[in-house]
Amino acid sequence: MALIQVQSVSRNVATSDGELQILSELSFSIDRGEVVAVVGASGSGKSTLLSLLAGLDLPSTGQVVIDNVNLNDLDEEQRAILRGDKIGFIFQSFLLIQSLTALENVMLPAELAGRPNPEQEARELLAKVGLSERLTHYPNQLSGGEQQRVAIARAFIGQPQILFADEPTGNLDSKTGERVEALLFELNREFNTTLVVVTHDDKLAQRCDRTLRLDAGQLVEQQHVA
Amino acid sequence: MWPKISWRLLKHELRRGELTIMAAAVALAVCAVLSLSVFSERLQLGLLDRSSEFLAADRVLRARGAEIPTEWLERADQDNVAWTQRVTFNSMAFAHGEMTLVDVKSVGDGYPLRGHLEVASAPYTEGERVENLPQAGETWVQGSLFQTLNLEIGSVLEIGDAEFTVTQVLSHQPDAGFNVFTDSPTVLIHIDELDRTGLIQPGSRVNYNYLFAGEPSDIQRFETWLVPQLDDVTQRWTSIQDGDSPLSAALNRAERFMLLASLLGVVLAATAVAVAAQRYAQRNFDAVAIMKTLGGRTPQITRIFTLHLLLLTVVSILLGLLLGNALQYGVIWWVSDQLGYALPSGGSGPYVLAIATGLLCALMFSLYPLLRLLKIPPLRVLRREITAQGLGKWLHWLIAGATIFLLMVIYSGSLMLSSALFAGGLVAMLLLLGIGRLFIRASRSAGMQAGSSWRLAMAGLQRRAAQNSMQMLSFSIAIMLLLLVLALRNELLDDWQSQLPDDAPNYFVVNVAPHQVQPMQDMFEAESIQATELYPIVPGRLVAINGTMVRDAVTKEERDDSEFREGFGRELQLTWQANLPAENRILQGQWFSPGEAGVSVESQVAERINVGVGDELTFRVAADEFTVPVTSIREVDWNTMQPNFYMVFSPDLLEGMPATYIASFHLPTERRAELYRLFRDFPQASLIDVEDILTQIRDVIGHVSLAITFVMVLVIFAGALVLVAQVQASLDERRQELVILRTLGARSSLLSRAVSYEFVVLGALAGLIATIAMEVAVYALQTQVFNMQPTFHWRFWVLGPTIGAFVVAALGWAVCYRLLQHHTGTLIRRLQ
Repeated sequence: MALIQVQSVSRNVATSDGELQILSELSFSIDRGEVVAVVGASGSGKSTLLSLLAGLDLPSTGQVVIDNVNLNDLDEEQRAILRGDKIGFIFQSFLLIQSLTALENVMLPAELAGRPNPEQEARELLAKVGLSERLTHYPNQLSGGEQQRVAIARAFIGQPQILFADEPTGNLDSKTGERVEALLFELNREFNTTLVVVTHDDKLAQRCDRTLRLDAGQLVEQQHVA
Repeated sequence: MWPKISWRLLKHELRRGELTIMAAAVALAVCAVLSLSVFSERLQLGLLDRSSEFLAADRVLRARGAEIPTEWLERADQDNVAWTQRVTFNSMAFAHGEMTLVDVKSVGDGYPLRGHLEVASAPYTEGERVENLPQAGETWVQGSLFQTLNLEIGSVLEIGDAEFTVTQVLSHQPDAGFNVFTDSPTVLIHIDELDRTGLIQPGSRVNYNYLFAGEPSDIQRFETWLVPQLDDVTQRWTSIQDGDSPLSAALNRAERFMLLASLLGVVLAATAVAVAAQRYAQRNFDAVAIMKTLGGRTPQITRIFTLHLLLLTVVSILLGLLLGNALQYGVIWWVSDQLGYALPSGGSGPYVLAIATGLLCALMFSLYPLLRLLKIPPLRVLRREITAQGLGKWLHWLIAGATIFLLMVIYSGSLMLSSALFAGGLVAMLLLLGIGRLFIRASRSAGMQAGSSWRLAMAGLQRRAAQNSMQMLSFSIAIMLLLLVLALRNELLDDWQSQLPDDAPNYFVVNVAPHQVQPMQDMFEAESIQATELYPIVPGRLVAINGTMVRDAVTKEERDDSEFREGFGRELQLTWQANLPAENRILQGQWFSPGEAGVSVESQVAERINVGVGDELTFRVAADEFTVPVTSIREVDWNTMQPNFYMVFSPDLLEGMPATYIASFHLPTERRAELYRLFRDFPQASLIDVEDILTQIRDVIGHVSLAITFVMVLVIFAGALVLVAQVQASLDERRQELVILRTLGARSSLLSRAVSYEFVVLGALAGLIATIAMEVAVYALQTQVFNMQPTFHWRFWVLGPTIGAFVVAALGWAVCYRLLQHHTGTLIRRLQ
């Protein structure tokens, strides 16, 4: 059953030279529990697609339906609630809040959602990603790999149905990248999350169930792996 | 949950120093307002207390010829206002077969209500403070009377029908007043003894003075009730600020300066808050975007950041109150130590004012940045260039302008002053902005011919012309206000200092007979005493102007003041001089040429009796009448302690008429005991001691000087904070560029030089613009507000640009240096 449905989605932006189409007429769906990689060259529209799937932005035409809810029908606030309920994020540049410790960064989504025991949950997750000793460290006191592990723990705290990862290993050296990647897939299996990974990394794409390839804003290939 | 998040953010950010500038700016605003208002309130009370001593009360009701209705005094009792009576009149006093004119002063219990009396056991010796008054049958008299009537302690003095035993020398009375021509020695008796003299008869020339003192609010209430009932002819209500006191000009100027400087301090601190708040919002753009992405709803995030800001404000206000309190205690302790007495304590008003200022500054200046912050879309997590949309800059300027105006009104309590300053400031700001842009444009071509650091600096300046002219505006404003306060302070202090140098005359000698003039001059010279020349005095009357009798006209004109400006309106002290006396300035006409007959008239008198050069004045001296033309109008500096005259005649005109002579001289305090010996050979001459008055004036001026220095230091702090905040903020904008240049291999020395040069140019230009603006502002203030001669400050033309260049560049370099200490990798990571 499709958890994410993308129907004829286009995204245009106004520039000084006129309207520029970033995505054109995309249609596909992603099933619950599926792991999908979105690949393509720089400027192919991967990040824009991610922003539309996560409800951070709305399509110019077409619609994105998540768990039977059409995002076009929701306002900014309702989309935020939906993200809080169903969606987790991992970013290339980690995007941790610099003035909060590792533990507090992980607790934040649970606190915003008003969950009962954020600290306990956060501690357990940080233990899972191997950072029990780093709870009170600030982001700038952590290495890149450690920061991304904190971000992974934060992404899973809400037990989201969908996890969007934007180049999760893009800022890490290959060894650390592999470790982070392994952790991401492991947790994904454990929580049975639907994972959408935007990546340049073919090896990472190979580990996914399916690959969506974008070129100049168009979906050029859907390839099922294994 | 959200309060926890707010608190957590605040706690960590405070600990990590991210909010330091913002907290410091709010704390400084609070600290400045609190310490300034507490200090100036206490100082004001102290000043009034000290100045009230000149009146011996807070207010005096002077009534000529008759007592006031007793219900007025009952009303004073009801209003909690203390009162006592002082009745004064002139009379002859007799002792040892000699007689002389004395000023009889009979006072009621409680006198003096402000200040104190001092008595001594021998004339011209150090007095001791006393709390009581002469008993029945006793009198205390001034030292000069001992000389004139050959008195000793225990001598009997006859006044009218009564006899009094002289029991003390009256060495200090707070309300001694000072008029060298009419001052007869004071004879102090208790008011209950007045009837016994039999001198108070219907029609006697008696002054009934009622002295009042109490809490300001009580006095105010009583004053509001009483004043409308006074008849303006024989009754006059006086307070120390009414301009009668030699201090009122100094006090008024000081008050204006304090108000102005404090306002500038508050505006500067508010500017620092505004700059810091902008930066605060920018730093939190990512946090808001992340929270929104993670499911945070706008109301939730609004609550988190509003509380965050409120907590920050509260912490900063508390810090400011703590600092302000400590500061004002420290300063007051130091000032009291300097002045030798404690300043009275003030009310809670300043605390309310300080808290209100802190809240207003922090909340209003953060409002626009906060609104922008909350408008950050979640999409920023993917597209970092996105900032808030849909909020016009005009809103920011509107809120900031309204807040500054509100602060000015609250602080000054005057809509007029605030509107004028605000409008002036607005015009100045627009001009500065325009000039700044022009300068930056011009500097580009200059920079192109220089080395690589300079080229980089100039290119940077040009590229960021818009932001730079805003930064330059705040640098200019900060530097200008600093220079302004510094220049004004120096002007005021110099002005006061020149009026009362340390060797200002502290004694007057009057009634010197013509044959004693030479011996006295010889004595002054032999004893190395600095003295003015001896001026002849001939008493006379002005009887006609251009042939019209003036008695009626003059008395009508003079009605209000005649009672209180002894010596004019009835009888004038006329003198003659071949040369223009020192401290006198000719406004119209010419000083006498040899052989010319004429009179030179003091400018205020000329205005009052409406005469000018060429008018003919007729005087009567003894039985002679003569008419002379007015040949010049003179301005006289009445603040100098030397004999000054309304009418100065050309030599020859008055010669041969019965004259006595007057001079003033300076005798160091430690030589006071020699007075008796020095003047033993001049028994008819009387000495008037003005040392007391001088000390009082110096005291007050000392107060005021300290106060304005203190204000200046606070303004400097506020200005420095604006500079730091602005440099920090502008370096944030440069950070990305610096990191890129660094990545491309630019050495730190090149980069820090480029940044320093850029700031050198910015600072120097700001300093130059600030100096121009300061010169204009000082001119306007000197001529319009402080009634001073305008001056030009050439030193500041060097100082302004130098300070600007040096301070701004040093701050820029320091911030840049810290940035460049990190590895390039770390810097790049931070940028993201």
